[in-house]
Amino acid sequence: MEEIVLSVENLSKQYRLGKIGTGSLRQDLSYWWKHKVLEKSDPFFYADEDERFIWALKDVNFELKSGEALGIIGSNGSGKSTLLKIISKITLPTKGYVRGNGTISSILEIGTGFHPELSGRENIFMSGYALGMTKEEIRKKFDEIVSFSGIEKFIDTPVKRFSSGMYVRLAFSVAAHLEPDILIIDEVLAVGDVEFQKKCMGKMQDVSHQKGRTILFVSHNMTAINNLCSKAIWLEKGILQKNGTAKEVVKSYLEKFAKPNLPKEWVELSAAPGNDMIRLKKTSVEAVEQSFISVATPVKICCEFWCLTEGFSVNINVRLNAEHGECVFDLGSSSVQAQRSIMQLDVVIPARLLNNQTYSVSLTVVKNHAEPIFEFSNCLSLDVQDERQDMNYFGAWPGVTRPVINNNLRIKELLENDQTKKISSWNA
Amino acid sequence: MAENEKSWDWEIGPKPAKSLSAIKSIYSYRHFHSALVRKEFLLNYQQTILGPIWIFFQPLLTLIVYVLVFGRLIGIPIGKTIPPVLFYFSGIVLWNFFSDCFAGISNTFRDHIHLYSKVYFPRIIVPLSVLTTHFLRFLIQFSMLVILVIYFISFKGFHVRFGLDLLALPFVFVGIAMISGGCGLIAALLTARYRDFVNLIGIVIRLLMFVTPVLYPLAAVKDSLKWIVLINPLTPYFELFRYALLGEGTINNYALLYSFLFGIVILIISLSLFNAKSSKLIDIS
Repeated sequence: MEEIVLSVENLSKQYRLGKIGTGSLRQDLSYWWKHKVLEKSDPFFYADEDERFIWALKDVNFELKSGEALGIIGSNGSGKSTLLKIISKITLPTKGYVRGNGTISSILEIGTGFHPELSGRENIFMSGYALGMTKEEIRKKFDEIVSFSGIEKFIDTPVKRFSSGMYVRLAFSVAAHLEPDILIIDEVLAVGDVEFQKKCMGKMQDVSHQKGRTILFVSHNMTAINNLCSKAIWLEKGILQKNGTAKEVVKSYLEKFAKPNLPKEWVELSAAPGNDMIRLKKTSVEAVEQSFISVATPVKICCEFWCLTEGFSVNINVRLNAEHGECVFDLGSSSVQAQRSIMQLDVVIPARLLNNQTYSVSLTVVKNHAEPIFEFSNCLSLDVQDERQDMNYFGAWPGVTRPVINNNLRIKELLENDQTKKISSWNA
Repeated sequence: MAENEKSWDWEIGPKPAKSLSAIKSIYSYRHFHSALVRKEFLLNYQQTILGPIWIFFQPLLTLIVYVLVFGRLIGIPIGKTIPPVLFYFSGIVLWNFFSDCFAGISNTFRDHIHLYSKVYFPRIIVPLSVLTTHFLRFLIQFSMLVILVIYFISFKGFHVRFGLDLLALPFVFVGIAMISGGCGLIAALLTARYRDFVNLIGIVIRLLMFVTPVLYPLAAVKDSLKWIVLINPLTPYFELFRYALLGEGTINNYALLYSFLFGIVILIISLSLFNAKSSKLIDIS
C-alpha cells in the first residue's frame, strides 16, 4: 500500500465578517476592557456573535497517498481556496490539523513574487525563490524555463514592458519547473492562449503521471479534473460533500450543478405563449439515460401544444441556435391534420453531435407547409456539458457542433533516404 | 492502519509554529532574502539618470540643507571641535539608518501583502530583508562619512585621535538595528490591524528626531529638559557614535546599558508577537 503523504483532519476555518480596520480599534479596546479587565460579559457583543463569523471550512477530512492527484471542485465561495491556503501554510486553521511528509509548493496565482520593474531574468530568480526553489535548482533549470516560456529575446527586458501573454508564459514556466513532493495548484490554467494552455496541460500531465508527484488541483474545468486527477473532493459552503474517484465526484457535481434544464409548463391557456390558433403548453429537454446533458448523451426535446383550430395541415420547424445565434440546424417536422387537441412533438438529437455550449431552440408552426402561424423564438435552451477522454487538450473546443466523423491518418509510403537528404539541404 | 503512530514531517494546526522551528527555516530561505535585498536596490534606481549615485547624493543634499538652515540660519551650538559638516553628516547618516529601517519595516504587511497572501515563507524574511537593505545602504553612506573625516583631517586641520573607541561603532550599529527592528515590527503589526497607524508613524519618526541628538549634541540641551532626551534609548548611541568617530560626545555607561537592554527587550517582545500574530494579520490585511 502506498504511503499517505497528506492528511487533513477536522479542518475548519472561521472568518470574521464586516469591516475590520476603521473604527475597530475603539471596538477592540472596549471589548478588551470589558472582557479582560472588568471580566464582564457584554450581552450586546455576544448577541450577534454568530452573524459576525462565517465558517469558510467546516470539519474537512481527507487523505492523500503519494503520487495521487486530487481535484478539488465546488462553486465559488465553497472554501476551495481557503483549503489550499491552509495547506500551503499561508493562513492558520481555526480548528483541525494538516499533517504531511515531504516538501510542499503552491501556485495560487500566476507570477508570485514578480515585480514589474525587474527584468525577466531577475524575476525568474525572484519568483523561484519565493516559491521555495534553491539557487542551484533555478540555475540548473534556467535555460529550460526560458525556452519553455518562449521569450528568449526579451529575457533582459523589464516585465512591465511584456505583453500580458508573455508575462503569463514566463510566470507559468517558473511554476511548472517546481519539483516539490506535494504540489498545490489553484486555477491557473485559465490563462494564456490556446497554444500555451495545451503546453501547460501537457506539462501538468507529465508531472502528475510520470514523475509520481502528489498534486492538489483546484479547477472549474471538469474535463481537466477528470483527466488529470485520480481522486477528487467536492466542497460546498465549506463542507466536504463527496470524496471519491474523480469520475464519480465530477459526475455527482454536474448532476447537482449543471444548469437544470427544467421543464416548463403553462397551466392556464390564456397565459400560455402563442395566439388564438396555437399555444405552447409544455416544453422539456433532457438527456437520455443520464441525469445531465453532455456531449456524449442523446438529447430529447419534447413539446406540447394546444391546437385551437382545425381544417388544415400543420407542421413545426425546429431550429437549433448556437450560443451566438448561428443556426445549427433547421428541422421540418412531419405534418399532421390540425384538430382541436393537444399535440406533442418529440425530437431526439443524437449523441456526439452537439458541442459543449448553450443552445437555444426556436419553434415555428407552419400552416399547409407555407404560411407561418406563430414563432416561439428561443422557447427552450439546453446546456451541454463537456466530456473528454484520453486527450491532452482541455481548452474550449471550437465549433457549433462536435460530430464524430471517421477519419484516417496513416503513413502512406516511406521516403527514400537520399530524398530526405535533399529536403534537409533545401532547408539549410 | 496505524496512522496515529505514523510520524509526519510537518503539521499545521490552529497554533503558530514554535519560534525555534521558524528560525531553522529562515536559513533555507536565505536566497530569497538576498533576492529581496537585491530587488530593493534595483528598484530604487530604475529609470533614474543618476542611478546608484543617489545613495551618496541624497544624504549630501540633506547635509547642505541642514548646514544652511540649522548651522547658518538658526545657529544651534554643536560643540567646540567638530566641524559642522562632520557633525551634521554623522547625525544624518545614523538617523537615516534608524528612520528608514523603522518606516520600512512598519510597512511590511502593506507593501508585501501580495507575497504574504500567495505563498509561504518564514514571515520574518521580509522585515529582515528591509533591515539588511537599509544596513547596506547605511554602510555605504557611513564609508562616505569616513572619507569626509579623513578629508577634514588631511586638509582642514581637524584633530581626532582614533583608538579603541572605534570598536564601539559595531556596537552602535547593532544597538540601532535592534531598536529600529523591534519598534518597526511592532509598528508593522499595528498598521496591519489598524491603518490609522500608517499616518501616525510618520509623525512619530519626525517627533523622535527632535528628541534625539541628531542636530544638536546632548551637552547643548538645557538641564531642565535633558530628561526628555535621556529617556530616548537612541540618545546614548548617537553620542557614542560621535564620540568614537569624531572625538566629542557625552558618554554614560548606565545610559548605554539602558539602551542595550531596551533593545533586547523590545526585540524579544516584537519577535514573539510577530510569530504569534503575523499569520492572523494576513487574513485581514
